[in-house]
Amino acid sequence: MQQGSFCYVAGTPVIEAQGLTKFYTLGKETVRALDRVDFTATQGDFAVINGPSGSGKTTLLNMFALIDRPSEGEVLFEEKPTSRLTEGELALLRREKIGLVFQTFNLIPVLSVAENVEYPLLLTKTPRAERRERVAARLDEVGLSGFERRRPDELSGGQRQRVAVARALVTEPRAVLADEPTANLDSGTGKQIMELLQGLNRDHCVTFLVVTHDPSVVGYAQRVLTIRDGRIQGEEKRGAPGPA
Amino acid sequence: MTIKIATRNVFRNTRRTLISLLVIGVGLTILSFVLGFVGEAILAAKRSLAMELGAFQIGDPRVLDGKASGLEGLIPPEIAERALALVRGLPGVAGATTQVRFAGLVGDERGSTLLLARGIVPEDCMTDYACMIVAGRGLGTTDAREIVLGERLGARLGVAPGDRVNVATGTVAGTLNAATVTVVGLIQYGEAQVEERLGLVPLGFAQRLLRTNGVERVLVWLDDLDRSSPYAAELNRAFSTERLPLAVRTWDELTPFFASLQTFWSAFSGFTTLAVFVLVFFSVLEVLTISFLERTREVGTVRALGASRGRVFAGFVTEGLVIGIVGGLAGAVAGAAVSLVFNSLGLTFVPPGGNMPQPIRVAVGASTLAIPFLVALGATVLSSLYPAGKNARLTVVEALRSV
Repeated sequence: MQQGSFCYVAGTPVIEAQGLTKFYTLGKETVRALDRVDFTATQGDFAVINGPSGSGKTTLLNMFALIDRPSEGEVLFEEKPTSRLTEGELALLRREKIGLVFQTFNLIPVLSVAENVEYPLLLTKTPRAERRERVAARLDEVGLSGFERRRPDELSGGQRQRVAVARALVTEPRAVLADEPTANLDSGTGKQIMELLQGLNRDHCVTFLVVTHDPSVVGYAQRVLTIRDGRIQGEEKRGAPGPA
Repeated sequence: MTIKIATRNVFRNTRRTLISLLVIGVGLTILSFVLGFVGEAILAAKRSLAMELGAFQIGDPRVLDGKASGLEGLIPPEIAERALALVRGLPGVAGATTQVRFAGLVGDERGSTLLLARGIVPEDCMTDYACMIVAGRGLGTTDAREIVLGERLGARLGVAPGDRVNVATGTVAGTLNAATVTVVGLIQYGEAQVEERLGLVPLGFAQRLLRTNGVERVLVWLDDLDRSSPYAAELNRAFSTERLPLAVRTWDELTPFFASLQTFWSAFSGFTTLAVFVLVFFSVLEVLTISFLERTREVGTVRALGASRGRVFAGFVTEGLVIGIVGGLAGAVAGAAVSLVFNSLGLTFVPPGGNMPQPIRVAVGASTLAIPFLVALGATVLSSLYPAGKNARLTVVEALRSV
C-alpha cells in the first residue's frame, strides 16, 4: 500500500466494465438489471455510483466485487478479464485485492473486533506477527484502538462500520467497494464514516467505489455516476471532493 | 481460527446446543451401559465355561467331538502321561488334570435314579469343586470310595453327607459293576438340570468301577485364555509328530452354543449402536440445519471476503466435530458413571435353569467408552455434511441476500 498524500500511479485502471449486462429471470419474465454498462475506475479514484432503489447499482457493485457474473460483457480487474476465472481464482482475487464494506456491516458476531479485522489476513495466510501489526494499525486508523476485545454486539452502528472499514483495508487491497455504507447509520455517524473513507482514499491511494442513494454521500466523491434502469445516465467529475 | 469460530458458533445458541448434547449424552449413556452389560455377560460366560471345561481339552477326537462315548475312546495311561508332559512344558499352564465320565445309576434300597458321574483327581485344585460344596466336604484321596452329589440329586435320593449309596454302571467290557460309596458332600452346581444328575467320584475309584486304567480326557487351564488356540495348534502338531492318537479342542470349540450366544449379544450390541447412531444423527442434523440456515448471510460475507467453498464447508463440519467431541466425552463419562453406580448396587439374578444367583455387572473399560465416543463423533460429523455442503454450494450473492 502506498501511503502519503500523493498517489503516484493514479490513472492506472483497477476495475473496468465493458458492455456489462445482467439479466434476471423472475418466473417467466426476464429482467434486465444492467444494460451495457461501460466504466473504468482508476487507482486512487473515489467514485460514487448513485441511483434510486432498483436502478441496478448493487448489481453493478456485485460484478465489480467479483461475487456475481455478468450475463454479457466483461469485468476487467487490473486490466485482466475475469469472466473465465474459476470460483477459486475469483475468491483469490477477492481476498487479496478487494475490500468490501456492506450496508449492514456484516461482521462475524462470534469474533471480537480484532478477530474480525484479522479474518481476511487468515485467508491470505499472513504470518501471525504481521497480522497483529496490521490489525493494530488499521484499528488505530479507524479510531478503534482499545476496542480490540469487544464483540460486534457491544458496539454502536458507526463503530461496527468502522470495524468493517478496517477489515476491508487490512489486506491492503487495490479497491474498496462499499454498498450503501451509511444507510444504517444516523446522518452524523454517516458523515463520520464518509470522512473516514475519504481520508483513507487520500492516504492509501486505494480506489473507492461507493454505491448509494443517499445524496449527502455524493459530495465526498471525485466522480459521481448516476445509474437508472441499469444504465449509466451520466458522470460528473469533481476536482476537489468534500462534504455536500 | 476455524476451530475457534466453530466452537464459538456451537455455543452461540446455548439452549439449542445443550439440547443436542443432552440427546447425545442420553444416547451414549444407554449405549455405554448396553455395551458394558453385553461385554460383561460374554466375559462371565467365557470365564464360567473356561473354568468348567479348561482352556482346552485333550482326548480322542471322536469323544471330544461327541461322536463316541467316553468309554469308546479312553486314553491309555502312558499316552495320557505323554500328553500331560507336553502340556506341562508350556509356559503359563495354570493346571492340568485327567478325567473320566460315565453314566450309571445311584440310589439305595428306597430307589435309584440316573447318575452322570465324573471321575476326578481330588488333589488337582482346578477341579476339586471346593467352592461349590454346600454340605459336608470334598473328595479325599483318588482311591477313596466316596461320592459328592449334586444338592438336588441328594435331595431327590433323601441322602445327606455320611449316608451310603450304591453306584452301578457298565464296565468297559460291557458287563455291569456296582459299589457302595459314602456320600461325603453335596455341591450346588448352578445349573438345576446338571445338579439333578451330577456325582463326583475319585478317578481311581471310577477306573476300578469301569474296569479300566485309561482316562477319557485331559483338561488344561491357562493363565491367559487367549493362548488357548495357539497352544492347541502347537499341541496338535506335536501329537501328529509323535503319532499320538489325540486331538486338542479349545473351550469354545467344545461349546458351539457359545458362538451363537456371542453372535446374539453382538447383534444386540450392534443394533443398539445403530439405533443410538441414528438417534444422534437425526437430532444433530436438525439442530445443525437450523443453525447453519440462520448463518447463511455470514457464509455470504466470508465468501465475499475470499473464503473458498472448501473453507466454509470445513468450518461447518468442524462444528459437527466439536459437538461430537463435547457430546461424546460427556456421554462416555455419564455412561461410565451410570455403570459404576449400577455395579455398586450389587444386583444379582438367577439365570433360567439355574439355581444360584449370579451378579449382574456392567463392564467399564476402553471399549465401552471409546465406541460410544466414536459413534457420537461419526454421527455428528456425518450429520453436518449435508447442511455444510448445502451452505457451501450457495453463490455469494444468494448467501448475502439471505435474511
